[in-house]
Amino acid sequence: MLIQNTKCECGHQNPVGTVLCESCGKPLFEEAAGAADAPLEMRYDGVARRSQKQNPQLVDRVWNFFSSVKIAIYLIILTLIGAAIGTIFQQESTFINMTTDEEFAKYYKETYGTAGVIYHALGLSHTYESWWFRGLLVMIGASLVICSLDRVLPLYRALNKQQIRKHLQFITRQQVTYSGPVAGDATAWVDSFKQQLKRRGYRVHQDGTALLAEKNRFSRWGPYINHIGLILFLLAVLGRSVPAWHMDQYLALYEGETRQIPNTNYYLKNEDFTLELYDESELASNQKGKAVPKLFETKATMYECVDACNDPTRDPVLKQVEQHPIQVNSPLSYGDLKIYQNSYQARVRFISVNVTLTDTVTGKAYGTFTLKADNPDRVYEVGPYTLRLNDYFPDFGLDSESRPMTKTRDPNNPAFAFTIKGPELLPDGETYLYFPMPNEESKAYQAILNDYYVKNGQSSGKFVFKVENAMSGGKMVNVTFSEYTTFLNIRKDLAMPYIWVGAAISMIGLIMGFYWQHRRVWLRIDDGTLSLGAHTNKNSYGLRADVAWALAKAGIEVPPKSLDNRRNLR
Amino acid sequence: MNWIDLSSNAFTGAFFLYCAAFICYAIAVAGKRWSNRDPQSHTARWGRIGFIAAIIAWALHLVFFFARWKVQGHIPTSNMYEFMTFLAMAIMFAFIVVYLIYRNSLLGAFALPLVIIIVAYASVFPSEVQPLNPALNSIWLRVHVTTAALGEAFFAVGFAAALMQLIRVVDTERPDKAASRIFTEFSLSVIIIILGFLVAVFGFRGAGYEASFSQEKVEIADDGTVNTEVNEVVYSLPPIVAPYNSETIAFDSFLGIDKPLFEAPSWMNGVNAGRKLNTVIWSVITGLIIYGLLRLLARKPLYAVIKPHLMDIDADDLEEISYRAIAIGFPVFTLGALIFAMIWAEIAWSRFWGWDPKEVWALVTWLFYSAYLHLRLSRGWQGTRSAWLAVIGFLVVMFTLIGVNLVIAGLHSYAGVS
Repeated sequence: MLIQNTKCECGHQNPVGTVLCESCGKPLFEEAAGAADAPLEMRYDGVARRSQKQNPQLVDRVWNFFSSVKIAIYLIILTLIGAAIGTIFQQESTFINMTTDEEFAKYYKETYGTAGVIYHALGLSHTYESWWFRGLLVMIGASLVICSLDRVLPLYRALNKQQIRKHLQFITRQQVTYSGPVAGDATAWVDSFKQQLKRRGYRVHQDGTALLAEKNRFSRWGPYINHIGLILFLLAVLGRSVPAWHMDQYLALYEGETRQIPNTNYYLKNEDFTLELYDESELASNQKGKAVPKLFETKATMYECVDACNDPTRDPVLKQVEQHPIQVNSPLSYGDLKIYQNSYQARVRFISVNVTLTDTVTGKAYGTFTLKADNPDRVYEVGPYTLRLNDYFPDFGLDSESRPMTKTRDPNNPAFAFTIKGPELLPDGETYLYFPMPNEESKAYQAILNDYYVKNGQSSGKFVFKVENAMSGGKMVNVTFSEYTTFLNIRKDLAMPYIWVGAAISMIGLIMGFYWQHRRVWLRIDDGTLSLGAHTNKNSYGLRADVAWALAKAGIEVPPKSLDNRRNLR
Repeated sequence: MNWIDLSSNAFTGAFFLYCAAFICYAIAVAGKRWSNRDPQSHTARWGRIGFIAAIIAWALHLVFFFARWKVQGHIPTSNMYEFMTFLAMAIMFAFIVVYLIYRNSLLGAFALPLVIIIVAYASVFPSEVQPLNPALNSIWLRVHVTTAALGEAFFAVGFAAALMQLIRVVDTERPDKAASRIFTEFSLSVIIIILGFLVAVFGFRGAGYEASFSQEKVEIADDGTVNTEVNEVVYSLPPIVAPYNSETIAFDSFLGIDKPLFEAPSWMNGVNAGRKLNTVIWSVITGLIIYGLLRLLARKPLYAVIKPHLMDIDADDLEEISYRAIAIGFPVFTLGALIFAMIWAEIAWSRFWGWDPKEVWALVTWLFYSAYLHLRLSRGWQGTRSAWLAVIGFLVVMFTLIGVNLVIAGLHSYAGVS
């Protein structure tokens, strides 16, 4: 085994992997720095990092792998390419109406041809949910943690115990250098130069004829703070896969409808939905004649169930907890839940009708009762008669054997079958069918079926159902219906606060790291010769300006550019 | 004069003043060796004139912006025309900031053409005031779009400096450097092709050219019913490519051609995909003609025409400007294009992130510049290599802004392109 001598000539014992002596700054490896007078590699102040440990074990190897910036860059590039590939064709998650793999396979084949088949077969149609993409994100997370820890601790130690008098080579091989004669008393000159740097905001430490000036050291922590924020952000993203932390479901509500939010104790009511369109005069020329929405809003009320919540024999007792007009950019928020306006559909839905039982012959009205589309009452008392609802078909149709049935559970074309009992009627009661929808088809059905009951001896045909004053002042008074069905998205996301805190920390780190720069100036005067070196991790232009300004104030006029050590070598 | 006229007149004025500023900068760069003058004072003088013209143009641009805001009642960043004009304005702002730090007036010679091209590109889209889509009716339209554009503007300035650096250091002699010459020339020719696009669009628009097709689109709805929709597609450039599955309605003959040469492939099923492909073909044709004419005039590659004028700018200065612009832009971009975007998405779409193509490409841009910043930590990637990264990075930015809307449709597609 090769034993490296890491003891510097100044007497300091450095750990293995040290590039610049921790104490005096003398370069320890010439071959690492290239030519003997080339600017020094000042990254992390040349200190040894954990990843440079000798005889690595398995844990060390993993650590070394993730501590490499090169690996981090590869991970970033791979994630970037993966993310971009995911946008070539539409992702599976954007199709709400498809669920099975066969459906997706068919869709990609039909829409994109062979390329689509390959895309789907490779699993690229769900890139962002794939194991490899998730894996890349987890690896980036690991890299963030390990890269940061590997560097920040040694860097902190190095910056915390800086020596003022540095090795001459350390000074003359900085990126910004100056060297020249100084007349008069060296200590006095250093004193005056110190005052100039102080005026530029440097904290200055003096050791006789040597000086160390430093400012904005905090900006060195910027990248690490940014990484902490990103780690927190990524952890919060992972936290979103905890089922109890997350809820995402949709609720369709017509106007006036109240429904339970599944798996919660809450109920939501759509009081009213409004759609406002732009006036013709407000539209651009290519929009004329189109219905361009200006605003759509669901007036929603949220209830909490306080009693009889799981009792099927009783209606739940609801207590109003929140009311909010939900718009696209303005969700309802209660507790952990947020209710968003997703979309809407213009769909006329019958809610209720006030029907008048009328005599076919005389036209005499016996009384009026209300029929509801949802959960209609079973019995109605109208004048001297009792109407019993025998059958209700919300979406009336005939089956293959011409028997009445309902096609769906939506009241698209409701039909109510009654048995009416009362004075002067058949003893077993009479059968009537009523279709509230004013379309020809349902009226025809109504006429045919009621005639059939008369012929069959089940009815005398005494009654007719009427809606009085259907229209009054341009409004339907005895009929209520919903014009729009609103689609609401119900969300719960307990990870969100961590996401925002992570993003905020990350942002603070970025600002610290990019808008301030850590600047250091070292100088020493040996036998009337001034040697000055300065270093910054960013913006050496600003550093040169600082040094040239301070030198000029101390009586040495040099153009800032001439201080650039890298340039002078070219 | 009412506000809308004031707005559009200010815009026209700004455009011509930007052009004038560019000409001043070009004189500053190219006229140094004209007789009877001291090169340094010549450059300083014309650079100053150029900068003053650019500042006045920018002031007019601001007048355009705020007058339009007043007219329509919402911030003019809600469609492609408005966004592109805003981006140009932001690039000018970024240029002024970087100029005030480095006082390198010649950067204007590269930043202004970029601004001019983007302003001209904006004018391709309908400039009429449109009412606001309810989804955009939020304070975040102001906050997110402006900060994102500002971050991108700094990337644009970084790109301009990087391109200058590449032309400045390109080796015109050594045979082993042929690849870098080809890529540099290629970058310039891409810019010429964008110019070709503008010339073709405004040329045929000025001539009033029009052709139209009826395109049949078959869509299978959620419930399995087949809907056939027939749309009319209007071309303002002579159709080389017809839309997929279409019939010609009207066709102004151009150079004796009176029917399209071929039809767009079926997989190009985006909004107006056929027309876009046709526009790309025309842009390449016109661009190559302009490029050919320039080569004929100069009798040497374009980089070789520009390079001699850049010789007294320090390549390291350019690299530093490019890096600094990107370093200033990166936090702004992170805040605007990712964090503010997530906040708005959380409020409007109920999720902070949904892998929508525009979101993904903002992330791709961010990852790219992250890689750039990390690569610069190692020595081998400073200089020319990082300049190439700055150029490619800006291409990614432009794809995110324009390409995603033109090629991939997503939730951001309402940021209307036509």
